[in-house]
Amino acid sequence: MLRARRPAGPALAATAALAAVLGLAGCGGTDASGGTGSGAPVRGGTLVYAVNTEPINLDPHASPQDITGLFTRPALDSLVALDAKGGVHPWLATAWKISADQKTYTFTLRTGVKFTDGTPFDAAAVKANLDHIVDPKTKSQLAAGFITPYTGTTVVDDHTVRVNFSRPHSPFLAALATAYFGIESPASLKKGPDYLARHVVGTGPFVIDAFTPHQSITYHRNPDYNWGPEGAAHTGPAYLDKLQIKILTEDSVRLGALTSGQVDGIASVPPANVKQVKANPKLTILTREAPGGNYNYYPNTASGVFTDVRVRQAFRAGIDFRTIVRKLYFGTFSPASSPIAPNTVGYDASTENLGKYDPAQAARLLDAAGWTGRDAQGYRTKDGKRLVVRWSFAKAFAREQRDVLAVQVQAEAKKLGIEIRFADGTITELIARQVKGDYDLADFSWQRADGDALRNLFASASISTPRSFGQNSARYKNPEVDGWLNAALATTDLAQRSALYAKVQQKVLADGAVFPVYVFDYLLGANKRAHGIAWEPQAYPTFYDAWVTGK
Amino acid sequence: MSRRVVRTVLVRLGTSLLVLWGAVTAAFVALHLTPGSVVDALIGSNTVTPQVRAQIIADYGLDRPLWRQYLAYLGRILHGDLGRSYQLHESVASALGSQLAPSLQLTLVAIGLALLVSTPLALFTARRRRWVRALSSGIELVGVSIPTFWAAILLLTVFSFRLGWFPAAGATGFGGLVLPAVAVAIPVTALLTQVTREGLERVLEEPFVLTARARGMSDAGVRTRHALRHAALPAVTFAGWLFGLMLGALVPVEQIFSRPGLGQLLLTAVGGKDLPIVMGVVLFTALVYVVVSSALDVLYLVIDPRLRGAAR
Amino acid sequence: MTVLAVAAPARTGRRFRPGVWGAALFLALIALAAVAPGLLVHGGPGDANALDALTGPSAAHPFGTDANGRDVLTRVVYGARPSLLAGLGATGLGVAAGSLLGLLAALGGRVADEVVMRFMDVVLSLPTLLLALLVLTITGPGTLNSIYAIALYTAPSYARLVRVQAMVIRRSGFVEAATSLGLTRARVISRHLLPNAFAPLFVLATMEVGLAIVAASSLSFLGLGPRPPAPEWGAMLSAGRDYFSVAWWTAVFPGLAITLTVLSVTVAGRRLQLRSEGRSA
Repeated sequence: MLRARRPAGPALAATAALAAVLGLAGCGGTDASGGTGSGAPVRGGTLVYAVNTEPINLDPHASPQDITGLFTRPALDSLVALDAKGGVHPWLATAWKISADQKTYTFTLRTGVKFTDGTPFDAAAVKANLDHIVDPKTKSQLAAGFITPYTGTTVVDDHTVRVNFSRPHSPFLAALATAYFGIESPASLKKGPDYLARHVVGTGPFVIDAFTPHQSITYHRNPDYNWGPEGAAHTGPAYLDKLQIKILTEDSVRLGALTSGQVDGIASVPPANVKQVKANPKLTILTREAPGGNYNYYPNTASGVFTDVRVRQAFRAGIDFRTIVRKLYFGTFSPASSPIAPNTVGYDASTENLGKYDPAQAARLLDAAGWTGRDAQGYRTKDGKRLVVRWSFAKAFAREQRDVLAVQVQAEAKKLGIEIRFADGTITELIARQVKGDYDLADFSWQRADGDALRNLFASASISTPRSFGQNSARYKNPEVDGWLNAALATTDLAQRSALYAKVQQKVLADGAVFPVYVFDYLLGANKRAHGIAWEPQAYPTFYDAWVTGK
Repeated sequence: MSRRVVRTVLVRLGTSLLVLWGAVTAAFVALHLTPGSVVDALIGSNTVTPQVRAQIIADYGLDRPLWRQYLAYLGRILHGDLGRSYQLHESVASALGSQLAPSLQLTLVAIGLALLVSTPLALFTARRRRWVRALSSGIELVGVSIPTFWAAILLLTVFSFRLGWFPAAGATGFGGLVLPAVAVAIPVTALLTQVTREGLERVLEEPFVLTARARGMSDAGVRTRHALRHAALPAVTFAGWLFGLMLGALVPVEQIFSRPGLGQLLLTAVGGKDLPIVMGVVLFTALVYVVVSSALDVLYLVIDPRLRGAAR
Repeated sequence: MTVLAVAAPARTGRRFRPGVWGAALFLALIALAAVAPGLLVHGGPGDANALDALTGPSAAHPFGTDANGRDVLTRVVYGARPSLLAGLGATGLGVAAGSLLGLLAALGGRVADEVVMRFMDVVLSLPTLLLALLVLTITGPGTLNSIYAIALYTAPSYARLVRVQAMVIRRSGFVEAATSLGLTRARVISRHLLPNAFAPLFVLATMEVGLAIVAASSLSFLGLGPRPPAPEWGAMLSAGRDYFSVAWWTAVFPGLAITLTVLSVTVAGRRLQLRSEGRSA
């Protein structure tokens, strides 16, 4: 089932960037079927959307997969909504107050809201949800990790709750806005994890009819819906009568289903086919840059050949990542310069001038590091040992033709005199290696809108151990960087945080702790009869404002 | 004769259980030899607290010794319980159940297609003019030689993407079944045609055929009423093997057409080390195989009188 | 009397057979590619050039280039070795193991028969792919390991065939007659039983070489064969299929190579078999 899981990074927007709401104008620009100027929305009809992965577990409180967010968002509302600039807006909570010590959040809840199973939405429901997320029985593999200091929720009255933390926890509201904190019916929560893995009931604009694994999930409109998030394009019930999300794992089949009109929209248009889709008058491509950690390569700074900073710097300078990305992706994805995406809060644009391709410099660095010998196959050697980089790479789970990219990098490294060996394997084996630090190079993307993604990626506390899995695959340990990251967490001042995050980006790049590769864009192919598809914070489409015109 | 048949079937049943036990054991042992631990596969690439980890281990009994996990599994199977999938959050039986129909549909349509094409083809080409045979065997050769996954890709591209005759994504409706079924049926059809024709040609040389002809029986009558029956024997020998071939072909075909089914279920389960599912699929296919091959043994007795006399 | 003997049509005389010659020629070419690929093409199979990615067939690249800008022709030529190795190796191993087991079952008495055939049943009752998956998960992916996997699941069909053959022959009274004439058991087996049993086995094995090549490429197609960037036809097809709609050549040529090789092996195998039967008949 791991096919459904993104390779080494269950990309999630924790503190998210983009609100669903901007959809129409936001995703519009040049290429909106999104509905710009397509007349007034029409009620009725069915929209069929095809995706490449599926959730193993439908309960977003428990699931580690970002795809769960896409599947449950139509049925689940959150307490708050986020906009593109990180601003928080009312949704199921109409107002909130943060205590002076930042340890207590008090929410005033919307009245007159009903779950689709008839249960009223109230303070007790909110408490039940948050308690459910942290309950060990839920086996939350993601959501619980974002509210670790949570101590409990107090029901003040029917429509007021107080959420308590043991220490200040500024990313809380942003996390709350994601589908992973979607509010489920307390009646359904009582039915246990196995039930929830297949059935999710919320207050959302759609109601889940049935989820058939490997096939599809279907929804129908919630006719009573009247509590959309602030900033949505419309109010009241959704336009669509029905919504269906199909699981079509094969790229070519998904694309074929789009071009033949079998489906109205697809996730992940293969980059090689983007031109073809754009040329089709019936189709269009909507893109949304995913915030957070780009798709990067991370050298293991703690053991092996990459412990020498000169070898790391040589690897970055000696391989023309920018050209490779432009050519292999046909201009679809932009080359990355920083570990984090440009639309992430705290992105440092000055990194774009760093990391120039300079093979001569790379050769000098490798010479200086002592890799001066050459063996029969042209690889560099030191003390008779070949310069080998072991790359933990799960080919079977490679998305977006990352395997093609990897092969190209392997060929380029050979020119530098570095041999790359792929250590392929199942996701289980990869995780085992990750935990032990048994690799020289790792690759993944980590979607999270806030600059705090840098803490996931480079804080020494985020290094994987047998007891906890972290995203610091470079196994990078730098007290100075740790200090900046913690300082950023303690302040809410955006300018101050950005300055700190800029320092982190500059430092890890200078240290060669990351090789930025490309900025991931969600490429949504849509039939022009589909309109109003909007975006979730983690760059996933939403369908509340969506509508379809006749075939 | 019927007593012998019954006895054969009974002996078969007894050994079948042995086969099934062997299959489960083999799969269990093999899967535990693979690197990586089950609990890591359950947790996946995520941060979990030690409590959560402990809870999973306790829930799934992973702290118990291997032999106890194994014994418990065998015991449950005796009660007809295939267990629950850790990852799918459903019982193995229901996971199999939900994926069985599409695979079964595909297999049956493919078998039907193969028989429908191969039998007449063999009948019409056996001991015919050289060019007829040459043409037919040429086509058969190509049929056997084309890798199923390549045929599937070509079919999908030509008939779905280019011509638009059939839907690309196909778990729904008969239209979506055609291309995958053709892909699965191609090598089976080719082999069946070959084997059946070769059998026919041999039989057509036998004295009793001459006798039939001498009695004024038409050529078509000889072929369909006498020869085909005898020619079916080699085809039956192959049938069990062809069945295995088809099960194997299901995996790439289901993948290429993004079809749900046992092949997909198995592939993803092995990748995720979803032990209960893998064992469930193993057990299920072993069961199907045992049933099919027992039926074939009986068919042998019915078709070939020579074996009937000789008791096992 | 043999159940599966392919009727040798009455083809007499030496006639020019374009199919057989074509097959032989193609096999010679493939064999050359497997032994000395450098004689056929200049570059290496790993020469990647992002600037040349996915260019169509041209004078410089007769089969076009793949997503990494590697020459598809070069990779198809270099892919011959792993594919042939897998086909021949797996079949050889399978036939050897299967025949031994089949003979043991047929001639070793009731207990041996039950034990061997039940063991074969266990192996056969696992779906071929699961078996391969199990073997390859334990041993790790690779050419050699897929050979083991394929041999493991083809051996039972040889065993069954040999057993059925041997039993039918034994029951025909032929063996009893020979033994009663004073021939030793081993002699009966090697002189009479084996030749009779192996005629149909040869037919099956001939087909199976081709099928083994297909099976090996299937495993690679599913990502279990040689590791990237090793050139292997199935793996090339697997990588090419994502680009099929924009670059047909990436998937067509490796597929064609598999099909033609298997076709040629089968055609040539049949011809050899007809000749051997012609001689013995």
